[in-house]
Amino acid sequence: MSNPEQAQVINLSAAEMEFAQEIAELGGEEIFKCIQCGKCAAACPKVLAGFPFFNKRTIQAILIGAKETMLDDSSIWACQSCNRCTEVCPRKVRPFEIMLAMRRAAVREFAIPTLAIEGLKSLYDVGHAVYLREAWQSRNKVGLPEKPPSVLASPPALTEVQAIMQKTALSELGIIPMGESGVTEVCSR
Amino acid sequence: MKVGFFVGCNTAFNRPDLEQAVRYAFPALGVELDDLEGQSCCPTWGTLPSIDLVGWCALAARNYALAEEKDLDMVTVCGSCYGSLAETRHKMLTHPQIKAQVNEILKDTTGKEFRGTSNIRHAVYYLHKELGPEKVSEAVKHRLNGLTIAAQPGCHALWPSEVYADPEKDTFHPQVLEQMCAALGAEAPYYSRLTDCCGMGGMRSTDMDKSFKLVLTKLLSMKEEINPDLIVTSCSSCLIQFDTAQEFLQKDRLLDFELPVLHYVQLLALCLGADPQQVTGLAKTGVDRVVNRILGG
Repeated sequence: MSNPEQAQVINLSAAEMEFAQEIAELGGEEIFKCIQCGKCAAACPKVLAGFPFFNKRTIQAILIGAKETMLDDSSIWACQSCNRCTEVCPRKVRPFEIMLAMRRAAVREFAIPTLAIEGLKSLYDVGHAVYLREAWQSRNKVGLPEKPPSVLASPPALTEVQAIMQKTALSELGIIPMGESGVTEVCSR
Repeated sequence: MKVGFFVGCNTAFNRPDLEQAVRYAFPALGVELDDLEGQSCCPTWGTLPSIDLVGWCALAARNYALAEEKDLDMVTVCGSCYGSLAETRHKMLTHPQIKAQVNEILKDTTGKEFRGTSNIRHAVYYLHKELGPEKVSEAVKHRLNGLTIAAQPGCHALWPSEVYADPEKDTFHPQVLEQMCAALGAEAPYYSRLTDCCGMGGMRSTDMDKSFKLVLTKLLSMKEEINPDLIVTSCSSCLIQFDTAQEFLQKDRLLDFELPVLHYVQLLALCLGADPQQVTGLAKTGVDRVVNRILGG
């Protein structure tokens, strides 16, 4: 694929179905129903914002087996999860589920943005994907206790969240540190 | 009436004034809140949902189990929590094999079980359905006579409608937020970008310029078409986007005005007599003028 002239030719009849099959197994189970009508694209905020790979084009790329193209582009992470596409799709393809499945496939090739890793780390360490260390100040300012009554205030609850996360693909992928020692450290605080 | 308050991340850590507004407004309207101690992140889109379908559902199911143990529905003021929790519940109830895998994980790790007996409700839609605009209208101490509101329903309050407990009748022409603003004595007229996305979320963390393009388009549409006194959202992410993006846009000379922004439940709490510092005190946009007008009127 290093020769750009070669890269522009895609032989559709020789398209590799393994990629589409992988996406179907990762949660994009309706992908083969897509007829590329474009209703999803007409509703997509990513189209308005100007991202190259929105729902329709992502599905097309997957169906023709263009995995490398998808791994090289960050558009899938800009999906707003708004589900306009799933609402309007006349074939019940559920394009948003394909977007998420594409992210799962990318993560398995370690194509994952730093911010997503930070969110996962925060989710594992404190039980919240979004967490601001200085939040206790603004909570106090409006008359609330420093911590909400969530996992943040309950070490046993955090242990449960971490135990669940250890049962996911996250533990095989090794994207974030989640060893036993981490659990003990957080619980002993 | 009693519900579990699913507080979520952005509300608890970014805008606790919104959390305080919920804690004021719901009891003031006769709805008791349960804290659902030990609740976690929903979890939101860029984290576990992007890694592992069953794992995403399992973490959400643990939150549901806390509500099911108390036989309560949950309410949230955050669109992402609403979306993530509603979608996972729908997946578990329509895919028995996902539910079975989730319950196996839950049993091994927590001893809990997801049954599907509790639901996630959106605060604005919950009040609209359970109390109705009339009762809300009767309860308010300060009315918003003459105030013009630009409504921002937010994506996750609307789509995908099949997973939600309280869907709009026509999701591309939403009515609920408009009716709830009218219940407080304000007008929330139609504008052409009403159902457009604000650009927050994955888009803002991937490409801030593209994200701000969307919020700018919405702000210009609001200003030109209805010239509102205030933007009112029903989503905490929309709240943060509209409240923080305007300063950046002004610095880049793309915006030459400012529209103050509140979440609907903050506005409701104000109208019910809450302390403005506690329920709106963290706003970056200048809400003082609107707050003074509300309390003076």
